[in-house]
Amino acid sequence: MRVNVLARAPRALVLACTLAILGAAGTSAPGVTAKEYTIAIEDMRFVPATLTVRRGDRVTWINRDLVPHTATATAKTFDSSSIAPGGTWTYVATEPGTQAYACAFHPTMKGEVSIR
Amino acid sequence: MNFKQAASTLVLSMAVTVFAAQAEGPTDPQIAAIVVTANQVDIDAGKLATSKAQSKEVAAFAERMVVDHEGVNKAASELVTRLQVTPEPNATSQNLQQGGDENLAKLQQLDGHAFDRAYVEHEVAYHEAVLDAIDETLIPSAQNAELKALLVKVRPAFVAHLEHARQLRASLDQVGRLGQE
Ligand SMILES: [Cu+2]
Repeated sequence: MRVNVLARAPRALVLACTLAILGAAGTSAPGVTAKEYTIAIEDMRFVPATLTVRRGDRVTWINRDLVPHTATATAKTFDSSSIAPGGTWTYVATEPGTQAYACAFHPTMKGEVSIR
Repeated sequence: MNFKQAASTLVLSMAVTVFAAQAEGPTDPQIAAIVVTANQVDIDAGKLATSKAQSKEVAAFAERMVVDHEGVNKAASELVTRLQVTPEPNATSQNLQQGGDENLAKLQQLDGHAFDRAYVEHEVAYHEAVLDAIDETLIPSAQNAELKALLVKVRPAFVAHLEHARQLRASLDQVGRLGQE
């Protein structure tokens, strides 16, 4: 038990530092707070299919269909894995650029998130 | 027209006939039975294909059919229970069941690439036929607003599955041509 705690402490510290650095880098501008965006997965489509956000913003996919879906970036920068009907998944936009994504289950479902 | 084309045209015309049989239009309890049976036969075919498919893409598609059609049937069952509608077997649902049984019997005889082709070909014909039925018979005939809304809600999944099946068929054709060279 004690060994466990000791082993975990440095890792937690590293994680905290990493998060602090990421947090600083992810903030789009001083004094600007991160925004929340929602993409509905509905009728086998991503709505809206294209979305532009700033670094550090949070994008949440909500599955309103009766079947599971995923939001999987073509470049593998993010992957929700299966989002159950009624379920959600949130991605904090970190990778700048235009991220094309698709549903790994249904190849006809495509979307794009542009991160500035 | 070669044998393969003739066979698939026959499968398709049989599937379409299944739905043309009822001139009057089904009642809500009959629609409920048609929806549940339509989903169930595709779940059964999907389960067989998950274990027998040669191509990884075909196996993944089959698994998706099982998951998605189970999702649709879960919603349909919940709705009919809530509405206290008892699904009523009818000529269309029985024909669907028979078509599904015949498809399974045929698929069980096949292996490898021939299995993949036959399964995917039938999936294209099946989703085309069910979409026609949804548009021309089931949605127009549904009396209960929630039942009608459920049919409207599930329609896009059938469209996406049909497109996916067509893409698979095209890639299997490609593999078939390469194999013959
Ligand atoms: Cu999907």
